[in-house]
Amino acid sequence: MSQLQTRFFTDNKKYSVDDVPFSIPAASEVQELSNVINKLLEAKNGSHSQIEFDFLVRGQFLRTSLSNHMEAEGISTEDVVEIEYVERFTAPQPEECMMHDDWISSVEADSEWILTGSYDKTARIWSLEGKAVMTVAGHTDVVKDVAWVRRDGLTSLLLTASLDQTILLWEWNSERNKLKARHCCRGHAGSVDTIATDPTRTKFCSGSWDKMLKIWSAGTIGLWVVWYSVLNWPTWLNKTEEICSASWDHTIRLWDAETGSVKTTLTGSKVFNHISYSPLCRRLASGSTDRHVRLWDPRSKDGSLVLLSLTSHSGWVTAVKWAPSHEHQLVSGSLDNLVKLWDTRSCKTPLYDVSAHEDKVLCVDWTDSRLMLSGGADNKLYTYRYTACETDAGA
Amino acid sequence: MRTVNLESQKNGTMSKAKEKSAKKRVVEEDDDQLPIFDKDVTEKKAGEEDDADLSDSEESVFSGLEDSGSDSHDEEEDAEEGDDEDDDDAVILDEILTKSSGVETATEPPATDKNTPTVNMGVLFLLQKQYSRVQNVKTAPKQKRKMKKGEGVAMDDGGEKGLINTRHGDEYEHDTSDEEDIRNTVGNIPMEWYQDYPHIGYNLDGKKIFKPIRNKDELDEFLDKMENPDYWRTVHDKTTASDIRLSDEQVDLVHRLQKGQFGDVNFNEYEPSVDFFTNEVMIHPVTNRPQDKRSFIPSLIEKEKVSKLVHAIKMGWIKPRKPKETTPQYYDLWAKEDPNAILGRHKMHVPAPKMRLPGHEESYNPPPEYLLTEEERMAWEQQDAEDRKLPFLPQKHSCLRAVPAFSRFIHERFERCLDLYLCPRQRKMRVNVNPEDLIPKLPKPKDLQPFPTTMSLVYIGHSSLVRSISASPTGQWLVSGSDDCTVRFWEVNTGRCMKTLEVGGAVKSVAWNPNPAVCLVAVCFESTVLLLNPGLGDRLVVSSTDQLITSYEPPEEDKEQAVTWALSEGPEHDNGHRLTLTHPKAVKQVVWHGKGDYLASVMPDNSSNLQVLIHQVSKRRTQNPFRKNKGLVQCVSFHPLRPYFFVATQRYVRVYNLIKQELTKKLMTNCKWISSMAIHPGGDNLICGSYDCRLAWFDLDLSTKPYKMLRHHKKALRGVAYHKHYPLFASGADDGSVIICHGMVYNDLLQNPLIVPVKVLKGHQITHDLGVLDVTFHPTQPWVFSSGADATIRLFT
Repeated sequence: MSQLQTRFFTDNKKYSVDDVPFSIPAASEVQELSNVINKLLEAKNGSHSQIEFDFLVRGQFLRTSLSNHMEAEGISTEDVVEIEYVERFTAPQPEECMMHDDWISSVEADSEWILTGSYDKTARIWSLEGKAVMTVAGHTDVVKDVAWVRRDGLTSLLLTASLDQTILLWEWNSERNKLKARHCCRGHAGSVDTIATDPTRTKFCSGSWDKMLKIWSAGTIGLWVVWYSVLNWPTWLNKTEEICSASWDHTIRLWDAETGSVKTTLTGSKVFNHISYSPLCRRLASGSTDRHVRLWDPRSKDGSLVLLSLTSHSGWVTAVKWAPSHEHQLVSGSLDNLVKLWDTRSCKTPLYDVSAHEDKVLCVDWTDSRLMLSGGADNKLYTYRYTACETDAGA
Repeated sequence: MRTVNLESQKNGTMSKAKEKSAKKRVVEEDDDQLPIFDKDVTEKKAGEEDDADLSDSEESVFSGLEDSGSDSHDEEEDAEEGDDEDDDDAVILDEILTKSSGVETATEPPATDKNTPTVNMGVLFLLQKQYSRVQNVKTAPKQKRKMKKGEGVAMDDGGEKGLINTRHGDEYEHDTSDEEDIRNTVGNIPMEWYQDYPHIGYNLDGKKIFKPIRNKDELDEFLDKMENPDYWRTVHDKTTASDIRLSDEQVDLVHRLQKGQFGDVNFNEYEPSVDFFTNEVMIHPVTNRPQDKRSFIPSLIEKEKVSKLVHAIKMGWIKPRKPKETTPQYYDLWAKEDPNAILGRHKMHVPAPKMRLPGHEESYNPPPEYLLTEEERMAWEQQDAEDRKLPFLPQKHSCLRAVPAFSRFIHERFERCLDLYLCPRQRKMRVNVNPEDLIPKLPKPKDLQPFPTTMSLVYIGHSSLVRSISASPTGQWLVSGSDDCTVRFWEVNTGRCMKTLEVGGAVKSVAWNPNPAVCLVAVCFESTVLLLNPGLGDRLVVSSTDQLITSYEPPEEDKEQAVTWALSEGPEHDNGHRLTLTHPKAVKQVVWHGKGDYLASVMPDNSSNLQVLIHQVSKRRTQNPFRKNKGLVQCVSFHPLRPYFFVATQRYVRVYNLIKQELTKKLMTNCKWISSMAIHPGGDNLICGSYDCRLAWFDLDLSTKPYKMLRHHKKALRGVAYHKHYPLFASGADDGSVIICHGMVYNDLLQNPLIVPVKVLKGHQITHDLGVLDVTFHPTQPWVFSSGADATIRLFT
């Protein structure tokens, strides 16, 4: 039991090693395995520099010693173990800390700008470097959610939803730094806590404490359909006609945006705080009040199936967000002041815990430009730079 | 003999035979008999004349039987199988035999008549003829039948046939002429024919037998008679026409015959008879042959009966061969006996107690350890007789002979008798109760989810102990009042303090209006009740609430009220103050009615009847519902559905009907000092927390005494609360813990509420010996808020 027959393989051609079985000490952990791979690569290629690798045994990240992992997963130690190795997702490095005047309720970043909503009744636009560009003031109450709608050259459309029951559509010219309120969307009879834009960037959907989910057309502002549900966190699926909403009534509902009827209901046991959909892996991730991040398959007909539970938080999960370019990674923020970076292949432990916040984390986001953002009750918006590994290209 | 023959031949003309003078004696003798014979004979004659008819009839009978036999041959065989049928056959056979042998039996009496042997002979001849004829008749139709019958006759009347045969042999002996008289060979002819001849016939040699030369006349006869001494024994032989002198032996023979004795002197007629068939039963049968089937003659009546039965069987009216009940039948004599009757006692029989076998103590020479020491003896003597372990003192004797008489013998026997008949013996049902079973089966807390289990959020902001909290009906906001003279409004799901309002004193109680269409919060501090509009939630509701308050128009005549209503204006109004109700005394508690228009405030004061006031917000009216002081009022509450009003004093909870204005119920809490009270949303149950660490659950329909008393807290309870939808209630106490209990109330009135403690929630710091001061549930989620003396509010989910 001291030695295991293993065979290493990888998708990355750059780091591929010979396809021969190796005898590895069973007690070896990730670091030893990584050293082995590095040694092999050095032997193959003299100019190889040390690289940290992560190892997957049957689709699960290796986090303990190899023998323990295989025992826990019930993998036979008799056969040759196939181990996949990938370049390690390096720890996100804190970049900027953008101070706000009040709690940050929401954040949304695109490739150039960061939009945050705050409890000081304003939304702000930041550059990626952390420079405050614009303050969007207009709401009479707390801004609960913000969203970019679209960008045409230098002009951008952005949305802010507020406790004052309105959603404001702004037009912002980044060059002239001019902001103009285009529309005020009234109609909700409760605080609008969340908005979501559809993938075509022509419509958006808002959820409110008045138990309504409303769909608005972003071009010519107009109310589309109204549905009843308890406080919703809607998210658009990649198909434009589907909306998914997670609600305080313990359900995740899949709505047909055309007819306004419920297509599927997935029932959880606790209040849902946030939901996110990944078009890459076609999974829903929900953050709820019972400390778990749960993955759902929106296509499953019976709504009782939870694919995975990611359990590490010790408080409510207030925000979840799938990685925009990686099908396995997601980030979650919680009331326990932690932001956790998850890989769904390792559901027991997250990849990284980011403990920068001193208070409740209320919102998280990523950008395509390798930036992770999190804002919370300590009035700080943190940005972290992560290095997208090469394997992401294949993802 | 010949005359007899002649007569028998002339039987047809009996009257002429009577006229015959010759042989008068015979005729005279026959006179007695003949009529009978005549009758029989005529019958026989008639029978002969009806011969054809008879045969016909017989044939018809037999043929009919034969036919039926052939027709129902199987049935016959079937019938023969049964014993009964066989017996019947035998009977039938006998009957038939007697019938058919009726002819012979009728002739039997004359045949046995010894006085007229000759006549008998003739009759017998006749009989024999007729018999053979009958036999012939029978033989003609069916050989078989004749054989059967013949055999039957032969077997049954074998004796008679033997007689006939012997007579027959005699007749030939005497009837044959050449054997009969060998001296004259003329045969059996009338001798008159030789009257004119000198000879009378011929002897064996063919020579003439000559008559005696001299024919005796009457005189010669006479002379001879007189002279010849042997005359009496001289017999004239007609065949030879000579006189024969009988020898002495011959004379004796004649004499004997005349006397009716046997001819042979040596024949002993009284010899002991040896029966051919003995009356003794022999071990071996004479013949073991069973009766032939062919000897069976079925009867017509039987046939009819049988055919009727067969028909009935075919039609199904009779079920042949019904299976017999083979199982023996028993009767349960005591089946109907009442088991509880006297007999039932036997079931509960308890045997008499057995006497204990003597042990070592009873021995005359017990081992020394059984002997009592002095102290033990003293103790034994001082004990009561009933308490003694042994009823006697063990004694040691040197030998058995030294043992004295047992002085307590009578006593002991008497006690034994008492044991046997006076001691009541009955079976005691021992109840084996496992103490574990007495504990009620409570469901596991795991099965009673959801209920709050962990602390999720801490609402931090107050600087002093938080006396009271209340959640908005939507569940989005929470209001708290603290001793730091502030009222704070919190966003529930983030813990964000949305608003802080300074008031002029330590806030004793806050209450959010339960009506979702009204946005008002009642806050009480010192002697003021403040109605606040927090401005949270729907703008429309907020503005309509403001409108509701400003739309008040004071009535014409201003009534004197216990409190003064004041509308807030200026900066206070901007802060949210709407109405200020100034009470005469310090207010401890405010509580809303479920509809949100009425408000009750409590001013505890032991010396006044002005302790509880009910305000109507829309009309700004205040009234004091109670005239009498029933004790220090601790807290009050409105019934959620009906116009009832609950008032908790120190030890009692009184339920008043507000419409009828009367006391409905008075609940005995068994507590020393009630601190808090909550009404189940159904309205039929109530919980009371008390400062003596108890929580009493009342089922108002059940009784005025607590249905359940929970003593889970270590210290005084400060707040209790029911959940609006989930079957949960919570209690907060000074020990810093909140205990969540599952309290399911059933619609079924017969089912008592199920109360299970499910969770102890800890989180609050104990400050100044105070822990949790108030608990309240989230209106929609199974979450509980608790406010504590550590200036925090905590949310447990």
